[in-house]
Amino acid sequence: MMLNSTRAAKVVVILALAGTISAVGETRQQLHFKVGRKPNISINNQYGAVSVKPGAKREVVVTAVLHSDKVEIDQSHRGNRVDIVSHLLAGADQSTGQVDYEVLVPADANVTLTSMTGPLHAEKLHGDVVMEGNTADVDVRDVSDAHVHVKTLNGPVTLTDIRDGHVEITSLGGDVVLTSVSGPLVEVNSSSGKIRYDGDFGDGGEYLLTSHTGDIQATAPSYASIDVTARSEQGQVENDFQLQPKHTSFPIKAGSAFAGTVGKAASSVRLFSFSGKIHLKKR
Amino acid sequence: MTCEEFERVLPENEGGHTIEQKSHLNSCSPCSDLVADLNAISEQARFLRDTDTDEPNPRVWNSIRIALRQEGLIREPESAPFLVHSQPRRRRLVWLIPAGALILLMFGVVQYKRAPVQLAAQKPVLSSATSEIADASSLDDQQLLEVVSKHAPAMRASYAANLRDVNSYIRDAEESVKIDPNDEQAQKYLMDAYEQKSIVYEMAMDRSLP
Amino acid sequence: MTDARKSQAQKISEVELIERAKQGDAEAFEALYHLHKRRVYSLCLRMTANTAAAEDLTQEAFLQLFRKIGTFRGESAFSTWLHRMAVNVVLMQLRKKGLPVVPLEDTIETEEEAPRKELGAPDPSLAGSIDRLQLQRAVEDLPPGYRSIFVLHDVEGYEHNEIAEIVGCSVGNSKSQLHKARLKLRELLKTSRAEKARKP
Repeated sequence: MMLNSTRAAKVVVILALAGTISAVGETRQQLHFKVGRKPNISINNQYGAVSVKPGAKREVVVTAVLHSDKVEIDQSHRGNRVDIVSHLLAGADQSTGQVDYEVLVPADANVTLTSMTGPLHAEKLHGDVVMEGNTADVDVRDVSDAHVHVKTLNGPVTLTDIRDGHVEITSLGGDVVLTSVSGPLVEVNSSSGKIRYDGDFGDGGEYLLTSHTGDIQATAPSYASIDVTARSEQGQVENDFQLQPKHTSFPIKAGSAFAGTVGKAASSVRLFSFSGKIHLKKR
Repeated sequence: MTCEEFERVLPENEGGHTIEQKSHLNSCSPCSDLVADLNAISEQARFLRDTDTDEPNPRVWNSIRIALRQEGLIREPESAPFLVHSQPRRRRLVWLIPAGALILLMFGVVQYKRAPVQLAAQKPVLSSATSEIADASSLDDQQLLEVVSKHAPAMRASYAANLRDVNSYIRDAEESVKIDPNDEQAQKYLMDAYEQKSIVYEMAMDRSLP
Repeated sequence: MTDARKSQAQKISEVELIERAKQGDAEAFEALYHLHKRRVYSLCLRMTANTAAAEDLTQEAFLQLFRKIGTFRGESAFSTWLHRMAVNVVLMQLRKKGLPVVPLEDTIETEEEAPRKELGAPDPSLAGSIDRLQLQRAVEDLPPGYRSIFVLHDVEGYEHNEIAEIVGCSVGNSKSQLHKARLKLRELLKTSRAEKARKP
């Protein structure tokens, strides 16, 4: 029995050491910057997560976990602008060059996040949010009275509860999912990524969802007030709404295009795909 | 003169006050304080111009430069340093890599901005121009992939796939414009396709180069 | 070199840069951009109180300038020409967003935006106690329509007849809205001062 418990203890120690060894080389840094109103915060992190949330004070708190000594953090604080860059040293790769950031900012901060791998996350802000990533998963939630601009190559983009600002998304292959997104302008341009919209197309805005081969599915309530035009050059289109006809020079070809109005037609909705399917669903 | 009457005419009195208004000011401290405060605000506002120290992000100039090149408004010196503020390591590559994409973009922008009538007239030219540009584009895509392979080899396959997708988009969009040069949506597809290509190049340059 | 000579040398250099830019010289374009970028960007930032929008508008203003540089004949100072272009770009953007460039008389203000009538005991005067940073912050808090008119007149020095022409309103409207903008700023500055006084 004693031998077994000794052996068990040795296993525990070995496992614990393994855990520690995996953490060796990781360091944690915390940076604080005092800022004024509507500061500009920019974080450029090639590899690793960046998450931005609002803090209580007028300061920016950056907590970073560096995965090895092959990466360091360059920081710059000029006036109301804070720039953080993960600087890769010689020999760094995706694993050793990884830094994970958690950032607290004043809610009115304008935030720019850039990463190859991400993921990138921002929530509960009312300053402009700009995100750029290659394969980074982009997630923005609860942003109002501000612009949201996202560019990705293949990373999926998820926007939830975005109101009263301009939303512009360009994604080559990443799927784009918009839930409760409304404002004066909502524009999504995708190549092969699917576009999913679930909201009310509200605020008398302009909604423009365009793809090359990606399918477009838009779901709106029966009380939506929209002037809609949809067309797919080579794919099919489907519509659950009873549209009032409108005077238009737009060519309506059954099965590949439809146009009309619902309710008072307050918002303009344009759904265009080259060869993807388009479906306007009623919730 | 009452305070209400004075406040009503105050917006007009940039040059000074009438005798009646001056007399009211001398006897009414709230109105006198109001005028003093508004004057102080106006005077201090002039000094806000002295705080013109904020600078736009360097990307602003990069975007301007790309647009000017696309529109054929600038010609760059062949061997002289490219940009005052460019990173030296990129100098050799800047011309080479985006040149093809920019030619395509310029083509797309020019086509998009032309009136439908002009576009129809350009139809016969389109096919020969397209094939020349397609050749240039393919060469530049190869060069871009070589750069990516050198600096971020793990990303090469991903960029190759993105370039295939976006080139396919451009081809389909060009075909649509060829069929109906007056089709505004087809023109928009072409613009969107070119924009996506420029994003691939931009990201490859930004991410691949250390 | 004396200041006058420096200024003269700079002017000549700018003239040379403009001529070279007209010939498509990339370095000349860049030099002109760097010479004027702060002024244009600061104007856009003051009028929009938003850095992302200010950067977009700065880019657009310079692009428009460079597209039209061939038509510049030197009738006015280059910086004035550029400045005017930047103002037009900002105002066009505000119109596109559906924001009032200059509010119509008494129609668009919400209760929040309108300057409030003072009640209760009078506050001490602001004169002599306004600092630039406080004023800058207060301007950022102004509703967009008031902010435009205040920035154009009191900060940038445009006359009411110029503002009326640029913005497309009457001189009377311009004067009236400027007055309201100043009243609103007064209220914001007093509130800010009161809050500061309350802090330990």
